[in-house]
Amino acid sequence: MKRIVIGLCAVLLIALCLPAYSAPDPMDTVKSYISQGMEIVGNKGLSRDAKIKKIEALYEKMVDEEELARRSLGRYWKSLTPAQQKEFIPLFRRVLENAYIDKILSYNNEKIVFSKQSRTSGNMAEVNSKVIMASKEIPITYRVIMKHGDWKVYDFVIENISLVQNYRSQFNAILAKETPAQLIETLKKKISRKQA
Amino acid sequence: MKRLSALCLIFTFLALGWAQSASGAQAAGAADDPPATLVAAPESSGTIGKSAEAGTGTSGTGIPDKPETIVVPGDDAGETAPAGDIGAEGEDPGEGEYGEPAITIADPLEGYNRVMFQFNDKLYFWVLKPVAQGYREIVPEAPRVSVNNFFTNLAFPIRFLNNLLQADFSGAVAEAGRFVVNTVWGIGGLMDPASSKQLDLPKHDPDLGQTLGMYGVGQGFYFIWPFLGPSSARDSLQVVSDYFLYPVSYINPWYASTGTRVYQEVNRTSLTIGDYESLKEAAIDPYVALRDAYAQYRQKKVEAAKGNLEPPKPGTLRIGQAQRQLSLLQEPTQQESPNEKEKR
Repeated sequence: MKRIVIGLCAVLLIALCLPAYSAPDPMDTVKSYISQGMEIVGNKGLSRDAKIKKIEALYEKMVDEEELARRSLGRYWKSLTPAQQKEFIPLFRRVLENAYIDKILSYNNEKIVFSKQSRTSGNMAEVNSKVIMASKEIPITYRVIMKHGDWKVYDFVIENISLVQNYRSQFNAILAKETPAQLIETLKKKISRKQA
Repeated sequence: MKRLSALCLIFTFLALGWAQSASGAQAAGAADDPPATLVAAPESSGTIGKSAEAGTGTSGTGIPDKPETIVVPGDDAGETAPAGDIGAEGEDPGEGEYGEPAITIADPLEGYNRVMFQFNDKLYFWVLKPVAQGYREIVPEAPRVSVNNFFTNLAFPIRFLNNLLQADFSGAVAEAGRFVVNTVWGIGGLMDPASSKQLDLPKHDPDLGQTLGMYGVGQGFYFIWPFLGPSSARDSLQVVSDYFLYPVSYINPWYASTGTRVYQEVNRTSLTIGDYESLKEAAIDPYVALRDAYAQYRQKKVEAAKGNLEPPKPGTLRIGQAQRQLSLLQEPTQQESPNEKEKR
């Protein structure tokens, strides 16, 4: 009996201690990041390199990179040593950057419509948007998580394909056969090949 | 005594749910938006799980399971509270690694598929892409879009039949409307006036794989067709049925029919050059990346069809959708288990 009461009290206490934050709106947050990005890309006064620098800085603010990396590795995240985890995060970002930066920079004032947002769980939400192009519409969903009072993106779902899950399936397939160190080597090779 | 503690628990959750709904939950969901309620539903499922945990946690080993069985229906019935986010709030977000259900597809023929992947890859880079690029140089984009529209319009029987099979009668009517409008006013389907703002009959693309999936047929295994690309055991049936439903198949002689198909493919490729390249560029293992993209894409399409199946009735919106959400969440794992057994 005592234990029940103590347990209940504990539950109550913890629950009440949860910050009664007036949460910012997930959609507003994502919208503001995207419009900042549009401004950078559309700014004709900036060189390509300057644009990339600014996009990188914006990406750092917008995305919870650790969350993204951790979810992309899934259950293998823990098989990396903390040092490897630290090494992995920026490498992964470079891979993403190499893959998508041209797409981002080729943005040419296509209309972006934010259609809805929805809570997926207590501290996570989804923001749905569409890029409307001449010949087609591309749906993009931003999955966001509440971190330190701010919504941070941890997954991009482009045309119904989750980036995190797509990488998770690849990393899982690779790590089923190789060590984390080898995976990191593979990423490094991929990045240097792009630069060459 | 147990009952008292359970009551206390319910009360706590209700109070917290109310408090949370005032601040957090409302901030996230636009109240006038039906989809917002859709997602409010799984939250309550999260709470159920958590409250059950809390129940066992606090009651200790002496009283197994009892609080759970009391709390769960109690919490469900407590419709008034858009049952708070306590579950997820209390949960360590760091551990929710599988927030989204993992969609997977079995791949027992990986050896064959990898060879076929290479074949299609080379086919694209050595033949299809250069031809499409040359074609793109000669023909401006507008006519190429028109040609694409024409072939899309021609595939009307596939979409219409699948709309009917999916019992999506409004979809079938819309599709028939699109066909008539585009054929008559769109010069045989070259243009797409049905999608214009005035008519607003948007494109849908139902297919047989989706229809089968909607009625519970799983993907089966992954299979790459030469020339046609990624497919699965289930979706391969679609390859067959589409052949018979697609008018181009009935062109005589056979080489004219094949030629038409090749031309259609070249034209389509000329509009999408770069898509496959960027997928490959982004991938660490392109084969796995494509396989996963295919699995996710098909799964989402089937889910979309299931969503159309039962229009929510006004009163039962929340419960019905909660159940559907739950069943959607559970489905991939159900499909997964036999697959995994196969692997072993």
